[in-house]
Amino acid sequence: MANLLGVATSGLGAIQQALATAGHNIANVNTEGYSKQVADFSTLPAQRMGNSFQGSGVEVGDIRRSYDSFVVGELRTRSSKLGQTTAYESLASGLDSLVGNSDNGLSLALEDFFNSIQGVASDPSSLSARQILLSDAEILTDRFGQLNASLLGFERDTNNRITSAVGEINGLTNNLAELNSNIVLALGTGASPNDLLDQRDTLLMQLSEKVGIISLEQTDGAINVFVGKGQPLVVGGTSQPLEVVNSSLYPGRLDVGVARPGGFTELITNQISGGELQGVIDFRTRVLDPALSELGRVALGMTELVNAQHNLGVDLNGQLGGDFFSPISSSVIDDASNTGVATVSLSIDNVSDLEASDYQLFFDGALWNLTRTSDGASSSGAGPFTLDGITVSIAGAPAAGDSYLLRPVHGAAGGFGLQLNAADQFAAGVPVVSSLSLSNTGSAEITDVQVSSTTGLPLGGDITLTYNASIPGYDVVGGPGGTIAFNPATESGGKSFTFAGSGGLSFTLSGIPNAGDVITLSANAGAPGDNRNALLLGSMQSERLLAGGSVTFGEAYSGMIGGVGVATRQAQANLQAEDSLMNSAVAARERVSGVNLEQEAAELVRLQQAYQAAAQLVAITDTLFQTLLGATRR
Amino acid sequence: MTISTAQIFRQGINSILEQQEGLTRTQQQIASGKRIQSPSDDPSGAVKVIDIEEQIAVTDQHLRNDGFARTELFLEEGAMAGSVNVLQRVRELMIQANNDTQSEATRGTIATEVRARLDELLALANTRNASGDYLFAGFNLDTQPFSSSGGVVTYSGDQGQRRIQVGPSSLIPVNDSGSDVFERIKTGNGTFTLSTATANSGSGVAKSLSQSSGFTSDVYTLTFSQVGPNAPVTYQVNGAVTGPVVTGNYVSGDAISFNGIKMVVEGEPENGDAFTVSPSAHQDVFVTLSTIISALEGPSTNAADNAKLHNAMSEGLNNIDRALDNFLRVRSNIGSRLNNLDSQSEVNENFLLRMNEARSEVQDLDFAEAISRLSAQSTSLEAAQKVFIEVQGLSLFDFL
Repeated sequence: MANLLGVATSGLGAIQQALATAGHNIANVNTEGYSKQVADFSTLPAQRMGNSFQGSGVEVGDIRRSYDSFVVGELRTRSSKLGQTTAYESLASGLDSLVGNSDNGLSLALEDFFNSIQGVASDPSSLSARQILLSDAEILTDRFGQLNASLLGFERDTNNRITSAVGEINGLTNNLAELNSNIVLALGTGASPNDLLDQRDTLLMQLSEKVGIISLEQTDGAINVFVGKGQPLVVGGTSQPLEVVNSSLYPGRLDVGVARPGGFTELITNQISGGELQGVIDFRTRVLDPALSELGRVALGMTELVNAQHNLGVDLNGQLGGDFFSPISSSVIDDASNTGVATVSLSIDNVSDLEASDYQLFFDGALWNLTRTSDGASSSGAGPFTLDGITVSIAGAPAAGDSYLLRPVHGAAGGFGLQLNAADQFAAGVPVVSSLSLSNTGSAEITDVQVSSTTGLPLGGDITLTYNASIPGYDVVGGPGGTIAFNPATESGGKSFTFAGSGGLSFTLSGIPNAGDVITLSANAGAPGDNRNALLLGSMQSERLLAGGSVTFGEAYSGMIGGVGVATRQAQANLQAEDSLMNSAVAARERVSGVNLEQEAAELVRLQQAYQAAAQLVAITDTLFQTLLGATRR
Repeated sequence: MTISTAQIFRQGINSILEQQEGLTRTQQQIASGKRIQSPSDDPSGAVKVIDIEEQIAVTDQHLRNDGFARTELFLEEGAMAGSVNVLQRVRELMIQANNDTQSEATRGTIATEVRARLDELLALANTRNASGDYLFAGFNLDTQPFSSSGGVVTYSGDQGQRRIQVGPSSLIPVNDSGSDVFERIKTGNGTFTLSTATANSGSGVAKSLSQSSGFTSDVYTLTFSQVGPNAPVTYQVNGAVTGPVVTGNYVSGDAISFNGIKMVVEGEPENGDAFTVSPSAHQDVFVTLSTIISALEGPSTNAADNAKLHNAMSEGLNNIDRALDNFLRVRSNIGSRLNNLDSQSEVNENFLLRMNEARSEVQDLDFAEAISRLSAQSTSLEAAQKVFIEVQGLSLFDFL
């Protein structure tokens, strides 16, 4: 009888436990990372009764998690990718809407600037047209500055994100280490600490969202976590914090490192794979840097090319044109950890050939390696290096491992500024004017008078060309002197000449001169109606002057916007893909581990019935006992 | 397959959110009328729009330049029309004055009018535009190009010609220098010119001068000689370089031909009277007019004076005709520039139209499509919301 009661009570107890488990499931239906728990019933050891075994009831052998480590591992991988694409996409979208808003953009300012140059070309003597040009140039300067500042704002944003992500990572690894200790202790008792395990999975997933990790489960139940190329974050019950340090090479930029024994920080910025950190770092190198460089290339290109042409002009006062925009210097940055004493300098040979990229120069102990960061193309040698319109010169003794960052164009837009400050100093004219002597009897003409260098300008005195039929050609007095050959019989259609030493003066002679006919080239003393240089400056708008002569200023800028747009679009597509992969990973986990309330309700009904039956068994035992008592009372 | 309760909820809410996102996008597109909200919507389209807008801005500027060029050219055309009128009036006056019925006094009146015409021409040559710039000063447009001092007109401009960009590769000149218009005018018939020696005392009048083949450029002097009274009048032509070329007995009205030049002298030249035929040089129109005025104001007492006047008038008429030729050349240049402007502005307008169409094609929203998309999306959103409520309303617990 006692045996029967024992069986009944064991049933009641076990079923209660199972009901409690179902209740726990129901209670945790909305708990993030919770795995459905299942109470496994098992029979109590049977007792030998004569030649048979009598069952002695039931117990809950184990309360286990409904869990699939493969599914959880997959979830962690997806979470890492999703964290990466989310961060990348959100930064890229921000930049996309910034550059896409034409109110912030450069296009309008560029158009207005060139339009007002044309305005001066139409009415070169008008001071108000010149004043409008100066104010439009000022606006262009502001646009470049603001755009550059907005882009640098994104750089600060990436720094903030890195700092906060690293802070969160350190909090998570700390908690993970603690959980590891608790789990190892709990497992030591032989029972599975389901809720602690769930919590640890949740933390691991949150950690993956921030940074890609490798996790290895140990035999004692602890999980060790590594980052980058195997740098440990959590080993058993101890965690190793990540650190944020200022980049030694890139000014204003943060790197991520792991503290190593001996106060040394190992940088892992370039080893991180996955998670928000990688998304942020990728955005920095793949979207932000190219945009800053492209914008800088437009700024530097405009400064150098507009200045060069403006220098070849003459202003209202008869002075040669000064710089229109303030010159921009390119930067060379020494890595703070360099130990050598080499001096690296960067000079720009040809603005039109510049690439929108930074360069890294690294000394490996024997040779210098120069890498273009935009595409990783590299060359090595003893230096100097001449490529992409720049020359990199090296002096002094480097030490192995020294590195330098060369930035021909990056950030140049920040230095873009207006140099010209008076409207009458805009050099709309060409410093040389030509005239035909009135006493000429022939039909000689001179056209296309242009200058190409400031050497020998302004002209020291008039250059006269006197036709001499015996050459046939012109006697040149002044300038280079000597004679130039011109045969009216064959060359009356036009022949071009260049006087290199006199401002690279070039002109075309045509027609049929008579002996003694004179053409005079003289210095332009500031004729207010001369718009020839303004026309040349204005035509720069539609000339393909950048990227090896493949794009105009405007196209280079719209190319930058296109670049950001393409990167963002790609990021959006990736995010969508990752989102749906994440959804299926979540669905897969939910299928295994999720709580279904209908199922739990059915379980409650089932257990309730079993409990009622077991309770009935107690009642029956009682009845049997009363029957026995009643029988023996007589 | 078991689906967890949380998953059912998540799926329901996700599909609602997705529908909402699509709906909001469509709403933004319709509100702005633009298909591309940010470059990432269509990077190549966005770049194309920016590039097209630059083209539009450039073309707009070309059209503005076009208007400016037109104003300048109309102004110059007006000045040239005025100048042609002046010369034509002078021409009429000269023909009137060349008549032997005119007296010294009437010629003096004519001279006064020619002088007034000269001043009028001078004023026209100093025409300024609306911003006060001189039209005919070349690049020196803030300096008065022609100034008269003691009857001598000097030019202070230069020979610059300003051009204005009215198309991608179309530069239209908008001025002609005063030097080119009023100074660079050939004398005579454009190849050679006849001048009468001031010392002539006879009544010889050079009636016509023409060019035939075999013309050799040189300064030829035609000298008449008569060894004594009643002796025949002979003539000799000497070239400065070519030396003596022809001699003969003078017969009034007979042609004298040499080295491709044919001239006819009438009247009675005296011994030592001479005419010079020299290659044409440049002479400004003001000098031409002044010369005519002084000839008109000269004495008119005898046949020799009249011969001088006739000679001066025919020389002057030739020069006036060359000036008219030059003015007409400038006017026809202006006309062809205006024609160029017309065709260029048509090209620009067409280009603008095409660019606007192209921009609209890339960036503008197809409203019909967008509105039908909007209604499809709101239907789907409603459906997703209904399904969510339905599914969430089902629970076994309701039956326990």
